[in-house]
This record gives sequence, structure tokens and C-alpha cells, in this order.
Amino acid sequence: MADYKFIGQPVLRVDGEAKISGAAQFVDDLEFGPNLLYAAIVESTRAHARIDGIDTAKAAAVPGVVKIVSGRDFPFKFGLYMHDRFVFAQDRVRFVGEQVAAVIAREPAAALRAAGLVKVRYSDLPLVLNTEDALRSGAPLIHPGLGEYEHVPWFFPRAGTNIAHFRKIRKGDVDKGFAEADLVFAETYTVPRYAHCAIEPHGAIGLFDHAGRLTVWTASQSPFTQRHLFSEALAPLGLSHHNVRVITPFVGGGFGGKAGVSMEILAAALATSVKGCPVKILWSRAQEFYNTYQRQGVKATVKLGVKKDGTITALEETLHWDAGAYVEYGANVVNAAGLSATGPYRIANVKIDSVCVYTNLPPGGPYRGFGYSEFIFGLESHMNEAAKKLGIDAVAFRRKNAIRPGDTLAYGAAMNPSGLVECIDRVAAEIEWDKKSKSVDPDKAIGKGFALFWKAPAMPPNAASTVFLKFNEDGSLNILASAMEIGQGYQTVMAQIAAEILTVPPAKIRVETPDTDRNPYEWQTVASHITWGCGKAVERAAIDAREQIFDLIVRALGKEREALYLEAEQVKSRREPGWALPLKDFVIAGIVQPDGTYRGGPIVGRGMFMPEFASASSDPETGQGGHPNVHYTVGASGAIIEIDKQTGKIKVLKAVLAVDVGKALNPDLLKGQVTGGFLQGLATVLYEDMRFDDKGRLLNANFSDYKIPTAMDIPQEVVPIFIETPQPDGPFGARGMGEHTMIPAAPIIANAVEDALGVRITSMPISAEKIIEALSGNRQ
Amino acid sequence: MPIINEFAYVKPATVAQALKWLARYKKPAILAGGTDLLNSLKDGSIKPDAVIDIKGLDTLHKISFAGKRLYVGALVTFSELIEAEAVRRLFPVLAETARTIGSPGIRNRATMVGNICSAVPCLDSGPLLLAYDAVVTTVGRGGKREIPIVKWFRGPKKTSLKSGEIVSGVIIPLPEGKHAGCFIKLGRYAGEDLAQASVLAMALEGNRFRVAFGSVAPVPFRAKGIEKLLNGKQLDARLFAEAKKLVAAAIAPITDLRATKEYRAHMCRVMLERSLKAALGRLAGGGPAYGERLL
Amino acid sequence: MNQRIEFVLNSEKRSVEPRANQTLLEMLRDTLGVKSPKCGCDRGDCGSCTVMIDGRAVRSCLVLAVEVDGHEVKTLEGLMPGGKFSALQKSFLAHNSFQCGFCTPGVIVAVSELLEKNPHPDRNEIKEALSGNLCRCTGYTPIIEAVVAHAGREE
Repeated sequence: MADYKFIGQPVLRVDGEAKISGAAQFVDDLEFGPNLLYAAIVESTRAHARIDGIDTAKAAAVPGVVKIVSGRDFPFKFGLYMHDRFVFAQDRVRFVGEQVAAVIAREPAAALRAAGLVKVRYSDLPLVLNTEDALRSGAPLIHPGLGEYEHVPWFFPRAGTNIAHFRKIRKGDVDKGFAEADLVFAETYTVPRYAHCAIEPHGAIGLFDHAGRLTVWTASQSPFTQRHLFSEALAPLGLSHHNVRVITPFVGGGFGGKAGVSMEILAAALATSVKGCPVKILWSRAQEFYNTYQRQGVKATVKLGVKKDGTITALEETLHWDAGAYVEYGANVVNAAGLSATGPYRIANVKIDSVCVYTNLPPGGPYRGFGYSEFIFGLESHMNEAAKKLGIDAVAFRRKNAIRPGDTLAYGAAMNPSGLVECIDRVAAEIEWDKKSKSVDPDKAIGKGFALFWKAPAMPPNAASTVFLKFNEDGSLNILASAMEIGQGYQTVMAQIAAEILTVPPAKIRVETPDTDRNPYEWQTVASHITWGCGKAVERAAIDAREQIFDLIVRALGKEREALYLEAEQVKSRREPGWALPLKDFVIAGIVQPDGTYRGGPIVGRGMFMPEFASASSDPETGQGGHPNVHYTVGASGAIIEIDKQTGKIKVLKAVLAVDVGKALNPDLLKGQVTGGFLQGLATVLYEDMRFDDKGRLLNANFSDYKIPTAMDIPQEVVPIFIETPQPDGPFGARGMGEHTMIPAAPIIANAVEDALGVRITSMPISAEKIIEALSGNRQ
Repeated sequence: MPIINEFAYVKPATVAQALKWLARYKKPAILAGGTDLLNSLKDGSIKPDAVIDIKGLDTLHKISFAGKRLYVGALVTFSELIEAEAVRRLFPVLAETARTIGSPGIRNRATMVGNICSAVPCLDSGPLLLAYDAVVTTVGRGGKREIPIVKWFRGPKKTSLKSGEIVSGVIIPLPEGKHAGCFIKLGRYAGEDLAQASVLAMALEGNRFRVAFGSVAPVPFRAKGIEKLLNGKQLDARLFAEAKKLVAAAIAPITDLRATKEYRAHMCRVMLERSLKAALGRLAGGGPAYGERLL
Repeated sequence: MNQRIEFVLNSEKRSVEPRANQTLLEMLRDTLGVKSPKCGCDRGDCGSCTVMIDGRAVRSCLVLAVEVDGHEVKTLEGLMPGGKFSALQKSFLAHNSFQCGFCTPGVIVAVSELLEKNPHPDRNEIKEALSGNLCRCTGYTPIIEAVVAHAGREE
């Protein structure tokens, strides 16, 4: 193992001082002066209706109102993977909360008051609130124009239905596989919708200046994607990419909710209607719940064939995703889950149908785990049941079928290097899987749960990261990149990578938040790909700078190139032990020659990374032929829980997550991802969920009734374990793991509940109430 | 979300001045801690023409114990209650109850009187005050009134307060002889939550008991039937079983977003037994420490 | 309907004329430009707007600006002696007790109140003090660790 100075070491976060002092600026902290306007949105009160008319007369009379706009002012579609959504609703609304019109005013209160006075006349259309109703023949069509929508070539919408995308995977012969099995059984598992609940609400400020330039400040994980979608959607107004600029300060939590474009399109569009005035739009906590992306619900039917010796012979899975009214981003969740719904298992015969279904609920979209959290609940519950029915130990069963490097994935490509078996063994040892625990309290039951997980970055094959690296006069560095610091600590890790190569300590490296005018291109900060992809670009930029430095030393001082190396911020030579030239002496100024001329000049490194081996082209009927996923990060997890049989309440005594991170670039930050991500996952299985009434209205759009965990709700102990099987194309062998720690929480709890009480709960959340219900059902 | 509605803000220095202003405005709202009021102002559920901030009325910012009665003034916050020496020494279950309300940042502002004025079915102070046979004191232009707590709650968000009146405080009589209580609140998790059901059990010298429930009927109430069954008896497994059988008839829970009526009923039985056992244990000088989680 | 008020903000006497319906949070952020208190939910649930009034941590979104007339208000900025990081802040830095940083100012104010009253809290007391400050990133453990370490009670 190489001896690193900064990689793998504890390093103070480079954004730390800004964050503990309140100096870190978030989008709502930026000042725009007295000309700032405020927008309030008129939202649909109906889940599915035709818009018959909008009366703005009363609203326009409110003092301070500057402008009122609606769909007819912006007949423009937008979307990341599928253009199915308008800036404002046009002829019909498709979910409660959809933006119908906007009021722009001098004061926020005036905007809100006037928005409340805009009268919208609706004619109700039949509602579709779940996937069963949506898939029924003759179901009301939510998007009658689906056949004409633009989308990426790897989506397969079915015109004339509510199916926005249908991902098929066919590997081997499932019928043959089931025939070979000694046991075939199926079960249906349901997962409701969830909210990201970043503590910072969405916000955006747009300014369309008199020179025709549009600048949008956003709380975003995807500044470049936003610039692209704003430019695309508003192209009819004469905008092009070079006169659209997106600036993103620190982001107060993302979890996927601030990926792509949701409410930010409003700031961009509204700005064009009030030229010269910045216009601000902030989402309230309630809007945060009902009009941003939600994690999609899924109904998963899992059918498994197994032999007596524990070999899995076939897997058939049908995933019906409640994707909501617009699927412009969410359909890719469905796609990603479909590709990987086997979980980290070697299975010869696979049939997967992952179906993206329109409903009249708020738009589904990306959420930490990107579909994997959702299907893993059913799959890993089912794996446990299979082991139990066969009388095989649940860990031994998983170990036997766990995917190994080089195995053929469901879509035909080969599995990347990874240490899943080691993860399994380490977790089993840590939770003493072979020892049965019993509570001394007769009212309490102890259970142990185990689950595997995996996830690949879900991204287009050409998703790229670019980095510039600039030296300063004192030898310190600025890294220009457009990944987002959403809390994960990416800035620190990028500084560590550059530090390792250039020997400049991270404390002397500044990584600033993006500005699409000044920082180079990054696709998006999603998919847990930043450490890997952007990290690789930083590594390349640092190497590029180092090579420029060595070239210069050769050219200006005539040193032997092969002997040069960097150490402690100096250039040194293996040939001349006494010689050293500090970086600060020449990285800006250059190197002076005997005749007084200079060689060199400011050193700027450039690095880019795009996975040139990836491809989304495959046979639509089988999913075979492409290389849609760049690699998987795998892991195993377990938990010990205590259940109060009288109350149904669950206490997590210990949780263990082992993840193969390739290389732990910063173990402290990785640990942070485990404690935070696991708690977020734990809440989805214990108490969070979104509740809608029969009119499609969200009932718990607040923290009083959508409960996210507090400091009093944490597990007693969480143990992170990092396995390091290098990822050949990752920086120092690293791969991402930001989402992964959330993914297995649900099945380990479900499996532990089963272990403790003998009750299999097949729907999330597994609330105390549901446990009591199940127990009383058992008694009858 | 800015407050859209506009109103006058006044801060009287005396009760008389407060009553005068209360009479002068058409739709006045009284501001003490503000933790409920501000949210109502923001969501527009109330639109007062004046907000009368009574925090200048120093006489209402008193907590005192005299003549075997604890007086809690209208401006006393839950944090002040928790910290009060008399409460810690003589009414530890009051502090136990107060500690389940919101979080420190809310308790530093919210008052017990404000809590009973909200009179929402899930209010946390209700069972406690009922178990102590507390008395609500009011002042109005017509003079002072003392209203037994049992007559205070008249329905969801409805109280016996008359227009033009201000609640000045609550009197909590110390029961005769030794007593100990236990408050258990059912939430969806350990963190702050609105009660899905709550029970306050009190054990008094001589095998006397008081039991009150919250969140499982339109108003909090004393379970007199259960008390009657238990009074004068040694609690044993059979008696607990019998008492739990009476729960269903005593409560009228509903199914809503927060819990089903079945789970509420089930948990009322569990909480009744646990709170009684804890209260008895505490009376005997043992039992779980006040504030310890029993769910 | 404006009203002149005088109060002490981070040790400095201020005189302002807020609207009667303006919250303390709005006045601090929009009128006075003090941005460390954040608006996360605007209904008292998340704790991101926590400031101190007369030494007590409160939700500034649930207080009218006019209510602080004659009182002392402290935000995170006011808890930094001489503009330097406090020992508590340094402990947060050392323990990675933040990720996105949005809830951090409110969390530090809430913890500061606890430590003022109780310099050596145990884990349960720390959790209770933090129970009204929502953090979606850290899982709370690193925050608790920072406070435990700061209070000199390594277990």
C-alpha cells in the first residue's frame, strides 16, 4: 500500500470555518439590493383538472404588485430525460400544488396576498392516484400527448397509456430457472413516497438584465444541468447557453431533492418578465413537501426460484413505480432500478419489468439511493424468507449467492472488482450473527437483521467532470470545479487529492462553489459519482499542473526531467539532494534567466473525466448489449434491535455497515456518510411516509406530521466498516458511497423484526402501530 | 412565510390597561409565549386587528407556593416551571409533563396557560391539571373568576374563557398526604411530537388514585370509572387487567394521520398500567426516575 | 404599522422600527443583515432560526420583532468572543459536527444555552437540548461527540 501524506488521513474540512461561524452563505443569504422583487405562486388546488380561466383582476389591484404571469406567458416545456413538464401548467393541471400562475411584487407579503386573490376556474378530470388504477385498461390518460414527447433514446414510453417508461431486463431463461428450482415463491412489497427534508428549502433568484443576460442564483446540486435546461426551455425568448449563468452558493442539504430542475425554472422564467429587476422565489416548508421531487412509491412483486442447496436459479421482478404527474427526472430512477433490481447476487436467469407509471400525485424524482432503497426493501426481505424456507442461515445464503468480480450482470456486462464477501463476513462478525440474543425482559424481543446492498451511479454515459487548478503567488491553490458541496465534504476530498499530488496541504487549497461562467463543466452532483468522477478530474488537473512544473524546470533550469519530484511544496531532484525550489518562487512569476528574461508563468492545470466505456445502447426487449453502469459500490449491513412487544416500538441497539469504498480517501467523512445516511434510511422504515387523501392532497406537508429523526431518535451504536478493493479508474482507487448508507436500512429492520417476532411485514414504514397490528393478527 | 395580515401591537403595563385594550379592539389576540399564536398569524387562521402582548404584566409572571397551593401565573414558561424549586420538590410530575412539551427552544417561550388556552385535544397540560383538580383564574372587567379545570375544556379549541377576559394563572392544589404521579405521552418517536395519547396517573396515600387521559377524546378528561375501581385497593395483576378493560369505555379515540383509534386504545391500556406502576413505585420512594422514558 | 424599539443585539445597542407583523427572524435577516439564523420551516419545528433572548434559546420565527424591545438578543455571531471561534465551535470543527452547515448556527446556539446552565451535561441531557434542532445530514452523533468532548466528559 502506498504511503500517502493526505489521502486516507484525517483532515480538517476546508469549508469548516465558514460553517461553524455562520459565514457560509446559502442562497437566501445573498443580498440583491432594494430593487429585489418577490414572487408567490398560485398553485393548483386540484389533482387533475382542465383550466377554464384565470382571473387576475383582484390580485392586480393589490398595492405593490408588479406583474402577474401564467401558462400562456410561458408555453415552454422542460425536462432532464423527458420533456413532459411545462414551466406553468397550460391547459390542465396534473397534481395538487402544480404552478398555475405567479405574482411578482415589491414585498413578499403583497405577493402572497395577491396570489391568494387569483381565481382559477377548473373543470375536474378523473383522478388516478395509484399505479393499479393508472395501469387499468381504459384508465384516464394523464398525458394524452405522451407519444410526441421528446426523451432520451433509452426511454420507452407507451403512447396511449400512463406508462412513461418501461425498462425490461431479460437474462437467461426464467421459465427454465424456475423449473430447476426446488422452491418457487412470490410476495409483493410496497414502499410509500418519501420527502428529502433538506433543512434548507429550495430557493432561487433570477435576474434578466437589460443587456439580455440571465443570471440565476440557486440552491442546487446541478448548476450546469440547470443552465442547460434553462437555456433549452427559454430558447424561444432568444436565450442561449452563453448568456445564461447559474451561480450556486453553499447548499443546505440536497439528498437528490436539489438535483435537476424543479422550482428553479420559475425564477429563470419570471426574471424574463421583469427585465432589470432580480426576482426571488423561496419555497415554504409546505411547498418543499408537495412541489419538489418526492421519492417515488413502488409496488414490487418478487418471485424467486431456489434450490435446496441455496442456489438461486431464477428471479422475476415487477416494479410498478408511482412516478407522479411528471417524470422528467424520475423516469431515470425507474430505469436505474430496473437495471440493478437483482441486487448484488449472481443469478443466471432474470426477468425484470420496471415500469414508470404516471399518477396525479406530485412529481417523483431522485432521492438518495435512486430507486435502490426502494427495491432493496422487497428483495432483501424476500432473500431472508427464501433462506428461512430452505432452512439455510440467512448470511450463508447470501454469501453463497453474492456477486463476485467478473460475474455477468443482468444486462450482460461484467461485475467490477469489489469485496462483497469480505463485507458480509465483517458485518456478521461485528453483530455476532451466530449468537442468538435474548432479552431478560419478557416484554421485549431482540432480533438481528442482515441485508446486502449495492448501487451504481445512474448517469448518462457521457456525464463528465472538468476541473481547473490555479496556483496563487504564495504557492497556495484554488480548485475550480462545478461539483457541489452539499455537506458530504467533497471540497475537502478534492483538496486532499490535489494535495497528495502537488504536496500543497489542504489547508492551503480553496475549493469554491460553482459559477457556470467561471468554473468548468460538471454534469451534476448526484449518483455518488463525484469522488470518483470529479476526483479523477482533480487528479488529472493536478498531474497536468505537476507536468507543467517539471517541463518548466527542465526548460528554465536544464534539470533532468526523470529525476524531478515534488515534496513539501518544493520541486526536488533525486540527482541533486541539496537542491530544492519552492513552488511559491515560480508558479506565478516564472523562473528568471541569467539575461533577466523569464520562463514559464502562472501554472493552471486542467483535468477532465468522462467514462468513455459507458453506453446506454441496448436491446429494448432484453436490456442486453450496453454498458449503462460504470461500476457498483457494494456492501453488507446488519442490525440488532429490541422491540417492546407491548408498544411495538423498536430500539436499534447496534447497526453495522460495511461498504467497499475502493479507497477511503477521508475515513472521517465516510463515517459521517454512514451515521447520517443510515439514520435517514432508518426513519423511512420506522416512521416517515407521505400521506395523501382521496383528492390527491398531501396531508402531512410539515415537520409536525412528517417526522424526521431528532437527536433523541438515533441508534445506540453505528459501526462503519470500510473495505478497500481498488476501483481501477477511480482516484487512488476510490469509488463513491454517499447514497449507499441509506439503502439497506429498511430490509435490515424488516428482517430483524421477523427474527424477533416471527412476523414478516411487507409494507413500509414498519411503524410501532403496524407491529402491534401484526402481533394481534398473529394471536387471533 | 411572512404574516400577511396587519394588526396593531400593544403592550399594556397593567391588567386594567390590558382589559381596556381588550375591549377596545374588535378582534384582539393575546400574546404571551407566542409559539401557537405566531403560527396562526402566519397561516391566516386568525386575523386579529390587534395583538395584545401581556408580557409587561409582571404580576402574571409569578410562580409561588403558599397555603398548599401552587400558583402558576399566565406568563410562566414551561422552562421556568421545570426549573422552579417548588415544582421540583413538591410537583415533580409537573416538571415531567413539561419536559415532554416541544423542545427547550419552545419551552423557553411557551406557557402552561397558553397551552390550556389553545385547548387542542392533544394538549399536554390537560391530564396533569385535571389530576390535580386545578383551578383556572381569570380577570375581566366584570371581576375575577375561578374556574375548576374540569369545567374549563368545553370542546376542541373551546374553553370557558369569556370575551374580554384574560387568564391570569392556574392554581394547583397540593393533595392531602403523600402523592406521586407519572405522565406518559405517546409519540411517533422519541423526539418532540404531538401526543397521540397521554395518560397521567397519580397515586396517593391510602390507595387512592387519579387517572386522566389526553388526546383520546375531544377534551382531556378524568377516568372516574377507573379511579373508582382502583380506589382503596392494592393494585395487582387482576386489578390491572380489570382496569384495562374499562379503558375502552372511558376513551373515544379517533383515527387520524397520527394514529389509528385501535392503536390509541391499545396504547392507553399499556400506558395506564405503566403509569400506575411507576406512580406507585415513586410513592414508595422507588420507581423510575421522573423524566425516564417509559415507552 | 411600525413601532420603534430598542434592544441589544450581540452586545450592541440597536434602535429599529419593525412592522408589527414582522418576525424577529425577518428583522434580523432582512432589516439588520444578520444571516446566521436560518429559516428552515418558519413554524418552530426545525430550530435553524434559534437565537438567544436574555440568555434563553428561542425560535426567532415564533417571536415578533417588537417583542424584543428592551431585551438582549444574541445570534451565533454574538457567541464568538472577540470575533474568534469559541472552544465549542472549535470542538464542532474537530468532530465534523456539521455537513451542509445550514442547521449549525442554530445548533451551536442551542448547545450554548445548555452549557451555560449545565457545563457538564451527560449524553441524555445533550440529546434533550438538541431535540428541537433538526439536522438531516449528520445523524447527530458527531454533534453529540463535540459537546461531550467540549464538556470534558469523554466516556
